Amino acid sequence: MSTSSSSSKKIVLKSADNETFEIDEIVALESQAIKNMIEDECADNVIPLGNIDSKTLSKIIEYCKKHAESPKKDDNADIDEKAVEDLKSFDAEFAKVDMPLIQDILMAANFLNIDNLIGLMCRTIADRIKGKTPEEIRKILNINKNDLLSPEQEAKAREENSWAFD
Amino acid sequence: MEEGDSRRWEDLDPNILAKIFRGFDIFDLTSGIAHTCSSWRNAACDPLLWKTLDLSMLKSNFIKIPLEPYVYVDGRSDRHLTRVLKLSLNLSRGCITTLLFHYYMYVSDAQLTYTAERTPKLKRLVLPAWNRIKRTGICKAISLWNDLESLTMPSIANPPYLMEAISQHCKNFSELKILGPCDMLFVQTLIRCVPNLKVLSIRCSILNIEALQLILDDLKNLEVLNISHCFIVEVLPPPATRRVIEKLDSTIMEKGKRLREFYTCLDDSCIMCQRSKADEGLMRWYKYDGLWKEDEVKSLAV
Repeated sequence: MSTSSSSSKKIVLKSADNETFEIDEIVALESQAIKNMIEDECADNVIPLGNIDSKTLSKIIEYCKKHAESPKKDDNADIDEKAVEDLKSFDAEFAKVDMPLIQDILMAANFLNIDNLIGLMCRTIADRIKGKTPEEIRKILNINKNDLLSPEQEAKAREENSWAFD
Repeated sequence: MEEGDSRRWEDLDPNILAKIFRGFDIFDLTSGIAHTCSSWRNAACDPLLWKTLDLSMLKSNFIKIPLEPYVYVDGRSDRHLTRVLKLSLNLSRGCITTLLFHYYMYVSDAQLTYTAERTPKLKRLVLPAWNRIKRTGICKAISLWNDLESLTMPSIANPPYLMEAISQHCKNFSELKILGPCDMLFVQTLIRCVPNLKVLSIRCSILNIEALQLILDDLKNLEVLNISHCFIVEVLPPPATRRVIEKLDSTIMEKGKRLREFYTCLDDSCIMCQRSKADEGLMRWYKYDGLWKEDEVKSLAV
């Protein structure tokens, strides 16, 4: 990927599957982790993100772009309502993806320290599992079979649940 | 999705899981989350999620009866509360600092003791219905709550034993709300047993003007007093009975000036004052859905 000739500074991110993404620095700064790297001058021309695949990374860049373009709350006391609404509907659309991708985005956002995105993914997961039974939650989240409750825990849980019915 | 491709939720930062659960109420936490898998069960025990146990959406299924304890609670609703307590107190691992019950939740002695033994760090208790709680039950509980600072309770006929227990066990006790009349005996007991009381709310109750004067004169460390919408009366010598006070006189207001906050409302055009007057200071809260939770003193509202 060639270096851009535009005036704004560019950052290149490299995914686990060796795909590179050139983005404006301002977009990359949405990530507190990258921001710290740049401020500490630890960032080379290319920042390798060995634990984030290209599918996830492109979603995250899409999110950061939108949020970097939108006016920030603390910039201006009277930001226009339309921008807020616009961002809200963007977030709602953004979250309409399958659970494995949500989890990948959440883990990556946690690694990159993007607070708003962590919050959005947490709310999305919460909305999907609220009011569901343990079996339904396991199915929705495709919980690892190795991580089920141990027989003792299961027995304890069953006892707790059946306690009221004598 | 392939079998082997399940994501490793257990690798997720426990703080993130706790963030997902933050918006969940007690029923989601106890029924779904805690039984999903072991990492989620651990996350559901996060102390941050269990600072407050709010059961104020749960009412007993009961009927009033003419004999003590003047209320009969249906067994199923009793077992439901026991189950909810058992599940949530188990998950909370002793971290609860605020515990809230509904105005019409008639907790039994056994349930109260069970709860007290598992909430050693309790600071604030809202327990408005004491019909089924006996002296031994509440005193046992109080003796376990050494950190208790704030109590919302009903009016009781014999307050001294309770306030003595609080005085003995709860060194930092400083806030009291009484949902019901606060008579002379109650005030005298407060002055004797909890002289360090800082905040007192007796809103929406019948209040003897003499008791009010005594509060203002002798609860020396009081900083905040709420007598909003009280039905204030002066007891007269026989054969007269009582006189309803329509306006607080200047001596009362003058004495109130030493308080940091003094909430009063005695106004015919105020809807709460009208209700309190119509009910003669014994509020029939079932008519005013959820309003028992309000308080002009923020720290005492539910």
